[in-house]
Amino acid sequence: MTSFRKWYPNLAVVAHVQVGQDEGVVVQREVTSKGKLPGEHGDRVRGPHFRGGRKVQCSFQGREYDDPARRQRPRGSPGPEHLVHFEDNIVDVSVNNIRSQDGSWQRRFDPYSWANQRGDWRFDRERRGAGDYAGGGRTKDSWYKMTIPYGKKYNKKWLLTALQNKCSVPFKPVHYQTEGHKAQFYLEDAFTAHALVRASRQITDSEGYKVLVLMNPCPPPSILNTELKPQDTAWLKQCMAKRFDSSQRTLDLNQLRSDPDLVSQNVCPILSRKIFMDAVVKIIEENIPELVHLNLSNNKLYQLDSLADLITSAPHLKALNLSHNQLKTEKVLDRLKGLKLVDLWLEHNPLCDQFKDQPSYISAVRERFPQLVKLDGYDLPLPIVFDVVATSTIPPCKGSYFGSEEIMFLILHFLQQYFSVYDSGDRQPLLNAYHDGATFSLSQPSSQSLSRCLLREYHKDSRNLKHLKDPSTRFRLLKHTRLNVVALLNKLPKTQHDIASFNIDVNTHTSMLLSFTVSGVFKEVEGAFQDGVRAFSRVFIAVPAGNSGLCIVNDQLFVRIATMEEICSAFATPAPTPSSSLVPALSTPKQEMLSTFSLKSGMNLEWSQKCLQDNNWDFNIAAQIFTQLKN
Amino acid sequence: DSTGKGLLDFRSHVDASCRYSEEFTNIYYDCMDKKRRTLTRLYLDKATLVWNGNAVSGQAALGEFFESLPSSEFSVQTLDCQPVHELATQGQTTLLVVTAGQVKFDGHKQRYFNQNFLLTAQASPTSDQPVWKIASDCFRFQDWSS
Repeated sequence: MTSFRKWYPNLAVVAHVQVGQDEGVVVQREVTSKGKLPGEHGDRVRGPHFRGGRKVQCSFQGREYDDPARRQRPRGSPGPEHLVHFEDNIVDVSVNNIRSQDGSWQRRFDPYSWANQRGDWRFDRERRGAGDYAGGGRTKDSWYKMTIPYGKKYNKKWLLTALQNKCSVPFKPVHYQTEGHKAQFYLEDAFTAHALVRASRQITDSEGYKVLVLMNPCPPPSILNTELKPQDTAWLKQCMAKRFDSSQRTLDLNQLRSDPDLVSQNVCPILSRKIFMDAVVKIIEENIPELVHLNLSNNKLYQLDSLADLITSAPHLKALNLSHNQLKTEKVLDRLKGLKLVDLWLEHNPLCDQFKDQPSYISAVRERFPQLVKLDGYDLPLPIVFDVVATSTIPPCKGSYFGSEEIMFLILHFLQQYFSVYDSGDRQPLLNAYHDGATFSLSQPSSQSLSRCLLREYHKDSRNLKHLKDPSTRFRLLKHTRLNVVALLNKLPKTQHDIASFNIDVNTHTSMLLSFTVSGVFKEVEGAFQDGVRAFSRVFIAVPAGNSGLCIVNDQLFVRIATMEEICSAFATPAPTPSSSLVPALSTPKQEMLSTFSLKSGMNLEWSQKCLQDNNWDFNIAAQIFTQLKN
Repeated sequence: DSTGKGLLDFRSHVDASCRYSEEFTNIYYDCMDKKRRTLTRLYLDKATLVWNGNAVSGQAALGEFFESLPSSEFSVQTLDCQPVHELATQGQTTLLVVTAGQVKFDGHKQRYFNQNFLLTAQASPTSDQPVWKIASDCFRFQDWSS
């Protein structure tokens, strides 16, 4: 009702609230005009009275001339229905239902009726219509300037709607503006312009004045240029520079249109026009791509298409103020999806009213800007996020890695010899396995009390730099020279290794160095913990030695208690005995292959069997291996 | 074969290796846990890794491999270190670093591990302290077969 007064200051509205007979509360409104209303021809409009038991919905809705709802309304029928319309819908004043001078009811514009009368011609018109600016071929005065004297006082939408109602041809006004008391706009098409002129004096305004429409041929309006004139761009750029705070990386384009610098230069930066917004975005891209905050409030923006470029040209943009604009639906925000906004202002846009409650508003906005933390100045509640980062899986664990068969045989051969001595009860012969300058150290897990107890034989020689800080002790516990190495080895508990359990990883292999890690289990064969199963991880670094052997230069041993699993699976295969470990199940050819292989390779039967098994008892491969070993 | 001087050299060599290995393991596991993307910088270009029997070599492959591992939380409980005999390294100063402890990979249960590295010293353009890089890396869960 307030809006009513604004545009029709000379009308008074009195609302009567009545309790109707059957239908509950009823609101009746009386519209009367007050004061003198001199009309041009003495015509006056008296606000009609409305009576009746109808409930009235008071809602303001702008309607375009081709609003489908209109078409369904019965045409030409006078009556309260139209009067309701008049009161409620300020914009859509059904002026066409006001009696004109000759008393006939004016028909509302109905595109279909026109089409029926004139066939396809209307569609031609529409194609070529006033809405099409993109075409070229403009002659000098190919456009028409339409002027509405005293049009400044009218609401633009009301005026254009009213004119459209009266104009038999749909028109699209270009560059509507007011100048002095006039309202004016441009039309491209002569036929449309002429049709519109016929609407002159067909409309009577609220004061009773007839609305005049004048037309004048004119050159195409400069507003149509798709690019700003260079000097306008320069002024715009200068203005933007003034409005840019480099310390905060903020650009404030609030109400840019009324910027005094631009106004004084006659630059009219209507940001709702693509040409201006494009220019602004380009200036940002070229000059301040580091932009973080952008304020575009109060610029009558109704779409954000041009801003989409900011996604790439201003990648650091985090805060955007779009408040006090004309953004109608949440869909306009889709254009900015990709901007990593943290802070957004949207209030005072029509789109805000479209949500039934705040949570739905927030989630609609968050859908486009998932990282948003502040909306309209309010801190947002933390979003519920499902961590969709797929948990990577660990690669599957595999067994021994030798790198090459040659190395495999070399190492297996070596280990077989080494541990047969190591487990023999006298480790002294191991001197032959070590280099003069070899080093050895051992370590064990220190934290677990059980292991400290069960591994106490190893404890006093255990070298854990995490807990051992004294440099002398650190030095002392590193055994250097083979004599010292083997001396310590001899002191360690006697063992029985489960060779079948061995896993071997070769980490490095060069011409001079072979480094590999052996892990497996062994048993204590005497002492307090006889038959206790231990697990170990041992790093050997060796250099080549004569007769295709290895010579150890570094040896590091890590010992721990075996797990239940390890204990259960340990020593599943019978320990190798010097005589034979032929599995009776082997077929005769296999037995033969096995004994030949063992003879040729120098490995015992158990190792030989293992190698052959690994190669699927393939005689050809076995032959190749013989050859290699021989060489 | 160890002269007095030689022993002294060896002793200081051992002392230094202990310190280097401590420093190195701190950096390595911190990187592994918190800055995984920068981990490959600690490796030589042609470094090799054997990870539970999976062989990976070269910076590119290493980078991909570490990227594919879930995030980790390492807890090193045992550390030992030996200077590698120069015979094996042809004069290039090398350390053997051996670690053991526990690791929890995101989405998996905590497991015990054994790991050892061969570190080689490379001359640094900016200081007289060498830059240590991993030439080889061998890692295995203690219960890898389960």
